[in-house]
Amino acid sequence: MSNSCREQPAALESYRILDLTEYGCLIGPRTLADLGADVIKIEPPGGSRSRIGPYYKDIADREKSLFWFAYCMNKRGITLNLETADGQNIFKRLVKTADAVVESFTPGYLSDLGLGYDDLVRIKPDIIMTSITPFGQTGPKAHYQGCDLTAWASGGVLYICGDADRPPVWISFPQAGLFGGMDAANATIAAIYYRGLTSEGQYIDLSLQECAISPTLRTTVMWALNRYEHKRAGLALVEPTTHIRFRMSLRCKDGNIVIYMLGSTAPFTNSMDNLIAWMDEEGMAPDWLKNINWTTDYDATRISQEFIDRVENAIERFILTKTKNELYEESIKRRILIAPMQNAKEIADDPQLLYRDFWLEMEHPELHDTLTYVGPSIKLMETPIRFRRRAPLIGEHNQEVYAELGLSRHEIIALKEGRII
Amino acid sequence: MRKNLFEELKVAEFAWVIVGPSTSRYLAEHGATVIKIESHVRPETLRYLSPYPEGKPGLNKSMYYGKFNSNKYSISLNLSHPKGIEIAWKLIMWCDIMTESFTPEVMGKWGLDYDNVSKFRSDIIYLSTCMQGKTGPRSRVPGYGTMLTGLAGFDEITGWPDRSPSPPWDAYTDAICPRFNVAGVLAALEYRRRTGKGQWVEQSQYESSLHFAAPLIMDYFSNNRVATRKGNRLDYASPHGIFPCLGDDRWIALAVFNDEQWKSLCHAMGQPAWCLDAKFATLCDRKKNEDELESSLAEWTSPLTAPEIESILQKAGIPCNMVEKAQDLFEDEQLKHRKFFTWLEHSENGLVPYEPQSTYIMSKTPREICRPSPCLGEHNEYVLKEILGYADEDISNFIADGVIMF
Repeated sequence: MSNSCREQPAALESYRILDLTEYGCLIGPRTLADLGADVIKIEPPGGSRSRIGPYYKDIADREKSLFWFAYCMNKRGITLNLETADGQNIFKRLVKTADAVVESFTPGYLSDLGLGYDDLVRIKPDIIMTSITPFGQTGPKAHYQGCDLTAWASGGVLYICGDADRPPVWISFPQAGLFGGMDAANATIAAIYYRGLTSEGQYIDLSLQECAISPTLRTTVMWALNRYEHKRAGLALVEPTTHIRFRMSLRCKDGNIVIYMLGSTAPFTNSMDNLIAWMDEEGMAPDWLKNINWTTDYDATRISQEFIDRVENAIERFILTKTKNELYEESIKRRILIAPMQNAKEIADDPQLLYRDFWLEMEHPELHDTLTYVGPSIKLMETPIRFRRRAPLIGEHNQEVYAELGLSRHEIIALKEGRII
Repeated sequence: MRKNLFEELKVAEFAWVIVGPSTSRYLAEHGATVIKIESHVRPETLRYLSPYPEGKPGLNKSMYYGKFNSNKYSISLNLSHPKGIEIAWKLIMWCDIMTESFTPEVMGKWGLDYDNVSKFRSDIIYLSTCMQGKTGPRSRVPGYGTMLTGLAGFDEITGWPDRSPSPPWDAYTDAICPRFNVAGVLAALEYRRRTGKGQWVEQSQYESSLHFAAPLIMDYFSNNRVATRKGNRLDYASPHGIFPCLGDDRWIALAVFNDEQWKSLCHAMGQPAWCLDAKFATLCDRKKNEDELESSLAEWTSPLTAPEIESILQKAGIPCNMVEKAQDLFEDEQLKHRKFFTWLEHSENGLVPYEPQSTYIMSKTPREICRPSPCLGEHNEYVLKEILGYADEDISNFIADGVIMF
């Protein structure tokens, strides 16, 4: 770490977090590390099972996992076998130096090793521990086997996504763990703040099922108020009492777009006026369409599906004559609520992100290469997120961290030979 | 002894719709006083969106609005009136945190942008969140999460490889973005606790959202691969999918990550002949023959109910769960155990359910939903008199001048 990047303070500097999470949950400690915490990722000897694909240059090697690179940046990394007595003792010594432990083992796993919250409190009374599990630590489903897909299913978001004639569908990149990780980070900072005021630590019990309810947004209240069970039907907005349906995606010349075709209130009504005006300029707006007052004539609770279909089909005919880019650029100028469905390449080329200098270049000396990363997730003007180091190699900071802990060179060698680190 | 985590914390919420209000929910559920500055001239968009009880719209009827605003106070303030701005300033002087979610020029127009506010309140934590950030050619593009979900690539990677995308439901990124905001705001709060210094926290919702697919974007930069949709499959598991069950649109999610789990699954299914075939023996074999594997498995799941399968496979140690519908969530024993839904009496809507934004229970400072979402301007009097110290006469004048509305 050079002195130059020490100029500005970091929001969470001086706090140490032990990271025992895997997969998507890794994003939580990563965020704490971004905000300045000293996050130590603990892996079993041989490396974490989260060192998964995609891989750098498609070389399936644990040291080339882009997934790992993305979600372990800014952390230090050590190996430690928690299933051995020596490993457990070292972990306890680490806990004495730490402010929080974030973990995603099955409920009871750490307690069985003598490393549960109750055990750690005896070593460090104000320790904070945050546990991420599929359903929480207690309750009828607490011991269920789960994974990201089953968490997504348990929260109701899976049921409402997909095409009507096929099974429900998830997002082709696991999301539940990412939600869990982020909320774990938030709970951990909240607990650090509370500890600052009271000197008390606490235990945090997080449920991935509850994370997967979050993106259902309003379908739970639709059921509670209207006994309306929303069913998957592509991207559409359905009025829960009349069941009329507004489409929200259309095909265009070269792909797909998201579009708001709604009435009643600004900005939807203005967007419709602007869209119809554009269609009219190109001779594609029939008189009946031009005569619709979007505020008074297009109230979702009072119009028929037939009328909506007629409107949407007229708009669709126009949209099909344009490319994604034409639609987006012109919609910006005309203030129409349209956005293209972009892919990774289009995102990489997006002029807005380029203008904001969003992409981050980070050196990987071990690969003799510089990799492009997604930039800072949020801007804190006084304590900006800093990129201090790429994700750790397996055991990269063993020497450094264990020496800080006061282990001698001899001890470290013995532990290595005993396959404890 | 403190009762709540954020009991002394005060938030002035100029933000509206979902992302900003969801962010302050984390604080409101843990004891913070959150005052929403709303407008009767241009009411909050969510107040116009369903569901409403019996399907009848009304400014105080939307439980889409309700869902994101329990435990909060609401005042209705006309910020186009100079006295409205005066009241806004009093709230700014009162609060610890202020939030806004407008396109970049709006707060500046009122003189309430960070540069101006921080001259008087160097210790304030000021959160700005908008779709594409405060600078750049597209900073002023208005939009909602449903559009951002397309822009940020989630639509492209959701659905079936042989079809157009089948995008995630509704404003998906609106579920992601509050989580980065609250990380930023809480870190800023913790920094202020130590140093007394406030700061500006700025979110481009686009940039935050990309972190939920970061490895796929790195895959493009490193390997030139443009990620696309794969149904319910996952590269390192097989089977991994959603299978039909007995009943009306009933499904089970299940996944097998290793050969040991596969053997357990075969055993739990009663060793049907097909699953003993060598072409399914290893993960690589199963990947190679995944179409056939999935259709054979679907034959086994189809005549059984989802709870039956859950019970059989959980005993065998296979990750699985029924695909829960909204109704199922209200009947889910695990959610009841964690007291997920809180039913409260709302003055216009009767007994309605509220859900926490925090997906965790803190042992010493647990989440709590104790007050229903507010009607528009419901707390005008409370806020102006009790919190800001205005006299009855001032309030009468505000009403006469159209600054507030009851």
